[in-house]
Amino acid sequence: MSRISNAANSMAKLDELARQDTWLNRIHPLAKLIVTLLYLVLAVSWKPRQLTGILGMALYPFLLFEIGGLSFKGALYRLRIVLPVVCLVGILNPFFDREPVLTVFGITLTGGVLTMLSLMVKGILTVLASYLLIASTPVESVCGALSMLHIPGILVTEFLLICRYVSVLLDEADRMTQAYALRAPGQKGIARIAWGSMIGQLLLRSMDRAGALYQSMCMRGFQGEKPLFHMKRFRSCDLLYLVIWSAVLILLRVFPVLELVGRLFV
Amino acid sequence: MSHIHIDIADLSFAYEKGSQILDQLTVSFHEHDAVGIIGANGAGKSTFLKLIVGLETAQAGSIRIEEIPVEKKTLPKIREKIGYVFQDSETQLFMTTVREDVAFAPRNYSLPEDEVARRVAHALDLVHITHLADKPVHKLSGGEKKLASIATILSMTPDILLMDEPSIALDPRNRKNLISILNEFDHLKLIASHDLDLIWDTCNRVILMDQGRIAADGLTEEILRNEALLTAHGLELPLSLTNRMVTVQGPADKPPAKSPHRAP
Ligand SMILES: Nc1ncnc2c1ncn2[C@@H]1O[C@H](COP(=O)(O)OP(=O)(O)OP(=O)(O)O)[C@@H](O)[C@H]1O
Ligand SMILES: [Mg+2]
Repeated sequence: MSRISNAANSMAKLDELARQDTWLNRIHPLAKLIVTLLYLVLAVSWKPRQLTGILGMALYPFLLFEIGGLSFKGALYRLRIVLPVVCLVGILNPFFDREPVLTVFGITLTGGVLTMLSLMVKGILTVLASYLLIASTPVESVCGALSMLHIPGILVTEFLLICRYVSVLLDEADRMTQAYALRAPGQKGIARIAWGSMIGQLLLRSMDRAGALYQSMCMRGFQGEKPLFHMKRFRSCDLLYLVIWSAVLILLRVFPVLELVGRLFV
Repeated sequence: MSHIHIDIADLSFAYEKGSQILDQLTVSFHEHDAVGIIGANGAGKSTFLKLIVGLETAQAGSIRIEEIPVEKKTLPKIREKIGYVFQDSETQLFMTTVREDVAFAPRNYSLPEDEVARRVAHALDLVHITHLADKPVHKLSGGEKKLASIATILSMTPDILLMDEPSIALDPRNRKNLISILNEFDHLKLIASHDLDLIWDTCNRVILMDQGRIAADGLTEEILRNEALLTAHGLELPLSLTNRMVTVQGPADKPPAKSPHRAP
């Protein structure tokens, strides 16, 4: 299987996960969306050197992976391209900020190392939290929840089309590379000389496709306002989910939980 | 219901200046017409259908649907009446699952959710793809995509059906089912296709296009049996006709036309 169809398959797998019937999938998308957004805001709001506080925020994704029945290994596998990129952010910090601030087990940490680590952890945690939402909620439900939050229809439509479109684009790229490979047997990859026209073609075809998809929406009553999604009723257990997690997240943000736990043992 | 009809006068269209695709077409369609639009590759069939639903805009001439001119501000009203199946079904489907896609139009027309569900179930049942309801669109086979895109149109319960190559990629059984769906649809329908047997089985009137002009317009029997006419415009007799002529040595049986249309 080529790398491109592999990527397409990963997306399909994620979509499949989102359509399973588990308690987490059944929670109302709006509740999950709000909790995720709250988490992102709170996690990002920690100051760069407050590493222990940020680490405390890890409780949410890890607990949810556990009780939501989602595979953590599977997540790491699917995010294997994104996570290293996230970790690159802040990699230069240790070179700029060399002031020692902390000694752990005899190792002196500089401010730069600390900020690098906390940026990495923030990045990883926010990616994991977003993954948890996407892996437990179908795309159109996320869109429906965004509409309920009064996000402008045009942005919701954009989000929906991008999600649909990434798979179309991957398919198209896959088809082109396959067609190429079939007519260039024994050749590894695509010859440098063909790159230009391949990329140009892909772009043109994608634009054509996007235009046609939009026409198809217009033919079925879409007039540029927000598309309509069917949302189930917001039940009391959804409210419970929302309230409990919000409370936990705010507690994690207000109290440096890890430090408190650490003090118990000192 | 008001009397459904489409009137087209002096319609001309070019994608690029200098290469005329449609050239001063004048034609009318009426309530119970079942019209097959045939012609060689590049004759302008798809373009013609796109103009009718306003996906392209003509440089000259007019199109009126039930007296409403097709122009930018009337498009929403017109498109509510017309179900259009694209030639390329890949681009017709944009939601993540078949069910969501088939529900898109009824939901957009603000029907209550139980009515949406009823229509979706009915449309899926008509094209025999109930088992694919929750399948992601990008995992469908070519023919399944075609069936799904037909279902997305049936759930709109349109007054007018426009279909561009509806039988492409369908296996014999699904093709047969499509024919019976088309025959049950009692209003105006325009079907552009190279599948002349499908046209033979579903249409009472045929328009033969060549280089952007109407080369012939008349009863299906007259046009599809006219071998000289067909070959002159790059087509051949429908397969079933040639077979039957050889084996039975008599005229093929044409199912009775619902409302025979006069040739102009
Ligand atoms: N987007 C476009 N831009 C420029 N020219 C186009 C475009 N789409 C179609 N054409 C040209 O317009 C002519 C008519 O195309 P059209 O798709 O209407 O033909 P058709 O009768 O449907 O053919 P087919 O049987 O192959 O589907 C063709 O010569 C085609 O090359
Ligand atoms: Mg065509």
